[in-house]
Amino acid sequence: MKILVINCGSSSIKYQLFDMTNEDVLAKGIVEKIGLNGSFLKNERADGDKVTLNGNIYDHQQGIEYVLGVLTSERHGSIKNLDEIQAVGHRVVHGGEAFKSSVRITQEVIDKMEEVAELAPLHNPPNLKGIYAVSSLMPNVPQAGAFDTAFHQSMTPESYMYAIPYTLYAKYGIRRYGFHGSSHRFVSQRAAELMGKKVEELKIITCHLGNGASIAAVKHGLSIDTSMGLTPVEGLMMGTRCGDLDVGALAYIMSKESINLSATNTLVNKHSGMLGISGVSSDMREVEAAAAEGNQRAILSLRMYEYRIKKYIGAYTAAMGGVDAIVFTGGIGENADQTRANIMKDFEYLNLDFDFEKNKGVRGAEIDLTKPTSKVKVWIVPTNEELVIARDTLEIVSQ
Amino acid sequence: MTELLEDYALNKSLKSKTANIKAGLVGCGSMGQEIAILISKSGIDLTFIEVSEEKVEQAFAAIGEQIDHIISHWGMTSGDKRAILSRIKGSVNFEDLADCSLVIEAINTTKWIPNQPTRKEVFKKIEEVVSDDCIMISNASTIVISDLAVVLNKPYRAVGVHFISPTLDTKIIEINRCRNTSNDSIEFVNRFVRMLGKETINIYGSPGNISTRIIVPMINEACGLLMEGVSTVAQIDKTMMDGYGMQRGPFTMADHIGLDKLTKWMEGLYNEYGDKRYKSSPIIRRMVRAGILGIKTGEGFYFYKNGKQYEKKGSISHLGQQ
Repeated sequence: MKILVINCGSSSIKYQLFDMTNEDVLAKGIVEKIGLNGSFLKNERADGDKVTLNGNIYDHQQGIEYVLGVLTSERHGSIKNLDEIQAVGHRVVHGGEAFKSSVRITQEVIDKMEEVAELAPLHNPPNLKGIYAVSSLMPNVPQAGAFDTAFHQSMTPESYMYAIPYTLYAKYGIRRYGFHGSSHRFVSQRAAELMGKKVEELKIITCHLGNGASIAAVKHGLSIDTSMGLTPVEGLMMGTRCGDLDVGALAYIMSKESINLSATNTLVNKHSGMLGISGVSSDMREVEAAAAEGNQRAILSLRMYEYRIKKYIGAYTAAMGGVDAIVFTGGIGENADQTRANIMKDFEYLNLDFDFEKNKGVRGAEIDLTKPTSKVKVWIVPTNEELVIARDTLEIVSQ
Repeated sequence: MTELLEDYALNKSLKSKTANIKAGLVGCGSMGQEIAILISKSGIDLTFIEVSEEKVEQAFAAIGEQIDHIISHWGMTSGDKRAILSRIKGSVNFEDLADCSLVIEAINTTKWIPNQPTRKEVFKKIEEVVSDDCIMISNASTIVISDLAVVLNKPYRAVGVHFISPTLDTKIIEINRCRNTSNDSIEFVNRFVRMLGKETINIYGSPGNISTRIIVPMINEACGLLMEGVSTVAQIDKTMMDGYGMQRGPFTMADHIGLDKLTKWMEGLYNEYGDKRYKSSPIIRRMVRAGILGIKTGEGFYFYKNGKQYEKKGSISHLGQQ
């Protein structure tokens, strides 16, 4: 069965076409700058054929139309006609409390998604646009939605509630939801496989460190806590997001700088994190390069980034009553060996014996980075959110 | 060999008409600049027309400064600035508006510049170059849109749209139609305003819309209180802010609008309605004559320095100066 996975952002569409027989990727690509000047589509086929097509792409519907056009084209296509695509899986950022797992898209599901869209005003509306576009272009093809928040729905109230008046939870659903769920689920399950154990037997801490970053405590296969909250701002320090911040400080900043809510949102989402502290960049590689040249603020931002992750690992070990494995994933988690090394210092108290030599230069491989004697294992598991969505979609449409 | 994206369209191409909007703007003074930033920020290409190349350059510089100011107050990023500027083009030729789906007239009538046409002339010139389905919008606050519509061959396309400064922050935009305006035109403008992320307030043929008609008598009344010696500028502002939850008091509002522009509004409304509550207060007229115009001149009902507001300590008969 061939499945198309679509991830619609505010002005972009990422896609991958899978042949689920062997989980092969037949084609993948991205549409960028939708509705803006200079929009383009980039497609890469399994045999290495690559093409970038420039032209006007006014909305998501048109973007998806071109994606389908390229996928079925003679020159750059991977399939002969659209009928070969038997299902479409969508990434949906926020599922609120309504969605505890991936679901088949029905009118009822769409209605519920519209209801929770308020919780993620930047992300959910474009996700929905993707669903509407596929519905109108391929009306008979079943669609599934995989929610970033679904995996964390196993959290219990003591971990997901904020200590604010309960009525705010009752009225607006203000609570912690967590994100990157597909990734945390995938890498925890894969790590268990690699360790030759069942995920139900293990306590795993998964660190998804990419442009956005979150960490999760996965106990016996279920997420019991995660660092992101109602929005993706909470928790770890990120490229441009601040992570945990005293809300009192925020109120003080607003009054001192005389700024409104919208500017405050931009401040914590786009001006903060690695970029805000280093003043150099939100890109870890550029901050590392500046740090190597002695830029003190770049160095500070790296230390802050590592420290906060270390702190969360300690907290989640306590929350689960121990830990069997720590997993790194995401662009930074998979590639930034120095960051991993700095985080993994001083873990002897857990009988964790990190192999600093082995860690050096490792990028994007599935590998155990500890010495054989180590009681707690540290793995790199490259994430594959698209594959998770494809698998979920396959399972849902096969039912 | 370059390939065209268009060649890969599916047969059942459903090109969305609504998203393919290109905006034109005639007059890029301070208000025009705010409008340009708002439209471009929403991902829409915009071409503005000014009276000379020099004015085009000045407008671009001022737009850059406005965005820098927003960035320094955390409201945007430098990436946003690049994207916004890349979507804005400036020109001195009305012909460059030919492919626009809507054109906004936002000329500044308070400072008369030689060769600057009036609003009616501008409307005529726009209609000469644009396509038949192009919507024509005036940002005039106190002019009835039907007065402008009458000069057009196709008056059904004229709509009054009132952007309230600070345009980026204000959540609503007033849409004013007249007898001639067609439902299609109104529908288009409502859609356009929602694309800008604003809510629409639809009004039928009222010069001064809602906002200007209410704000003008309030500022006049505040001037009355001041002249009677009832209270001070700061106390009157504070009463309205803290007492009625207004973001700015009437005097601060007047300084923001600009007293010259405010006088124009007042004259316009007085001429239209003949009601003396719209007639500009003598104190405002004195200030305008003395060149005390509000924030833009560093002095209005308050002093302004480095973006901060300072209370005036002198008596009202000296316009607050000591």
